[in-house]
This record gives sequence, C-alpha cells and structure tokens, in this order.
Amino acid sequence: MSVEALAPARAVALCAAFCAAAAAQAQPEEALALMRRIHDATQKLSYRGTFVYQQGNRSETSRITRFVAPDGDIERLEVLDGVPREIVRTRNVVRCYLPDSRVVKIERRTERSFPALLPERVGALARHYDIALGETRRIAGFDCRAVTLTPRDNLRYGYRLYADARTGMLLKAETVDRAGTRIEQFTFTQLAIGNVTREMVRASHPAAKWRVEDAEAVPARLEGWRLSAELPGFQKVMELKRRMGDARPVSQLVYSDGLAAVSVFIEPMEARRAPPDGGVSGSGALHMFSRAVSNFRVTVVGEAPAASVQRIANAVEYRPQ
Amino acid sequence: MKDRISQLVDGELESGAAEQLIGQACRPGEAAETWRVYHLIGDALRGARPMSGDFAARCAERIAQEPTVIAPGRLSPAPRAWFPMAAAASLAAVALVGWVAFSPQRDNATPPVAATPPAVVPVAPVAATSVPIPPEANDYLLAHQAYSPNISLQGMAPYVRSVSSER
Repeated sequence: MSVEALAPARAVALCAAFCAAAAAQAQPEEALALMRRIHDATQKLSYRGTFVYQQGNRSETSRITRFVAPDGDIERLEVLDGVPREIVRTRNVVRCYLPDSRVVKIERRTERSFPALLPERVGALARHYDIALGETRRIAGFDCRAVTLTPRDNLRYGYRLYADARTGMLLKAETVDRAGTRIEQFTFTQLAIGNVTREMVRASHPAAKWRVEDAEAVPARLEGWRLSAELPGFQKVMELKRRMGDARPVSQLVYSDGLAAVSVFIEPMEARRAPPDGGVSGSGALHMFSRAVSNFRVTVVGEAPAASVQRIANAVEYRPQ
Repeated sequence: MKDRISQLVDGELESGAAEQLIGQACRPGEAAETWRVYHLIGDALRGARPMSGDFAARCAERIAQEPTVIAPGRLSPAPRAWFPMAAAASLAAVALVGWVAFSPQRDNATPPVAATPPAVVPVAPVAATSVPIPPEANDYLLAHQAYSPNISLQGMAPYVRSVSSER
C-alpha cells in the first residue's frame, strides 16, 4: 500500500481520536447535568414507591411517599419489615415514630441549620470525585442512566446513582468502596410519580400520648473543641447543641466534603454508661467510633470509610480557653 | 512431588509431610503451580465457577494490608479440622490458613503472602469493622442523618439506616 493510500486512513484515525477526546471532555458536563437533574427531581417530584435497602446480608423494604405543596413539601418513610417504624419530614421538622417504645423523636430545623447540596455546588464535588456517566439500565420499569462518582482518594466512598432518563428521579443508589465493591444499596422495586395526596404523607400513629424526645437543636459555638488535623476535603459545616435520648445535652459538629458527612458528638462522661471501648463499628456505609477526650465521651459517626471516621475521632481535642 | 501434592489435595497426606509441603506450596514455584492446577482441575470437574485470574494475588494483597494483630485471635485449628476444608480451597485460602496455623511456630514469621507489597497503603491502620453498630447507637445515627448533604440527592431513604430493627 502506498503512502498516499494510507493518508485517508490516517485522517480517519486522527479524527476518531479527536472525536474520542472531545467526547471525554463532554462527558463530565453531561454527568454533572444528570446530577443536577437528580437533585431537582428529589426536591420537586411527588411520588410514592417501595424500595429495598441492602447491606451485607441485611435487606429491608420501606415505602417512601413525597408530597409537594406550595406551603412546603412533606416526605414520609415507613419501614415495612420487622417492627413498624416511620419518619415524617416536613419543611422544618423531622419526626421519627417508634411505636414499640411509644416514642416520637423530633429534630427541628431552620433553613440555615441543615447543610444541603445545592445544585450550583454539584460541580464542586468534582474536587473529590471523578464524575462520569455510566451504563443505562432498566430499573422498576424505568429506563435509567447511571452517573458514577469515583472518589479521588480512599478517605471517602464512591457512588453509582441510577436516574430515570425522563424525570431525573433516582431509582437506585449504590455506595461503593475504592475497589468498586458495593457496600450498600437503595433500589426502588416499584415507583409511581405523581398522584400523591396530603393524606398519604400523614403519620399513621396518633402519638399524642407518646413520650416526646425533642432534640431542641440550636446552632452554637463550641468553645475549646477542635480537630488537631482536619480530614482532607472535609470541612466543618455545622456546630450545634442538642439533646439526645433522655434529654442529655450533647454537642454536635458536622464535617462534610459536600456529599458525605461525619458527625462528632461530644457529651460529658456518665458513670452509668460504660466508657468508650475505642472500637470501630460499622453498618453499610456508616461507621462509628468513640473515645474518651478529657472527661468527655466523643462519638464519631459518618457515611465514610472506617479509617476516615477513626482519623477524625483521633483528631478531636479539647483546649479550654 | 506431583503425587504428594495430589495426596495433599485429597487430604491423604499425614500432617508432618503436609506441613512441609504446604510450606513449599506457599512459595512461588513448581509446588505452588501444581497445587493451583490440581485445584483448577478439581473445580472444573465439579463445575465450580473459576475465581478471577488474579484472585490469589489480590487476596494476598488484602491480607498483607490487614493488621497482623488479628492472627492470634484465630489460632489453633487442629490440622484435622482444616484439612477437608483445605482440600476444597484454593491456594490463596491455604496460604491464609497456613499462615494463621503456622505463624506461631516460626519466630516472628512474616506471612508468606505478605511478600507482595500492598498496592494501596491505607491512610491509617484500618480497623476491623466486622462489629455492627449497636442498636443503642440509633440516636446518634438519627441525629447525624439529618445533617448529611446526601439527603439532597437521595431524599429520606438513607434514614432507614438509623432506625434499624435489629435490637
């Protein structure tokens, strides 16, 4: 074959390489756009569906109903397996109903007190995650497209999010470790978008006579508490005082990389509770670690790898002014 | 050598000889390769699904990353107890069992599998996380959940983690 005959082939190859490069460039923008669509769908759609949460060999079915109204959205989660449990979230309050112990736990919020992932902040996630479009797959009757968030280090988990191509509704969310192994997943097995009434998001328990555990959370400045070294990418997003369980006062600090979060709980050591054993426990993507600092019990909980949770816990220090 | 490996695979070798042979099979070489091939043949005959090609290497790598402190806790299975298991296991599994079973006999023995340098060095000692979060901790999980930006994407679904029924 002559050199001239090769030229067109070379041109085609060059063009193909160029097009591939252009596609690689275009990919993140499309992926970010899908992330924003998922975000918007989560805030704006009314829906009712059944999903399964799987972690290790645990699998639990729940029903979720979301009602969008001009005066604020209401979301209701009912755990269908085992002991009935129910959580209803309105614009300002999260109520958790535990019928077996006849307790309702209340978490109030002000707009500024709940760190949210804002659509304009989705792009900032690219600092910690490689964001790319993934496979297409049919889930619960919806044609879905995946967006993958691959962590850039081993301080955080990755995610595979499958969203309905038409509405952006999230049908399946997998949390994966750095090797790509699935740690937990939420999957809708049935979902209907629209046709939700206010009645469907009303709590099913007349909890008037139940014990109320109100967190009474208020933003606060926690004097003397800090991390000796922050976890790369995780910044402090919240600092508050609250009550827990039998109304004991607890301080809470929240660190986040924009998507994952780790909370640090600080409370006085109580004689009737065993001192922290310094061990890590975990369920799915959540890990927990507690230790004693001065005369305080420090408990760190977050949807991050055990080593990250442990690192934050070990960095907690108290320097009274 | 091949005959003896065959006997080892079938669990027919007496323990002293087995110990010596496992020592050999744990090092790269003919014994290790024979061991691998015999198991592959066995797996194929039983119709078992083959492991991925680099399973042993990756398993070894993970083991190398484990804090060695877990080894003493799992000690002392009598050879008889693990032989039938070993016959059905892959080389990687035997490397693990061999390490767990024999490491105390050697002075400060390095597990043979640890010779492979770990590909990713953990940022901190990775603690074993097989302990599930106790139900008493649900209050912390619930308090944490409300403040995770993750709910902006996933809605309330992640809350199920904080109201576990396992109590």
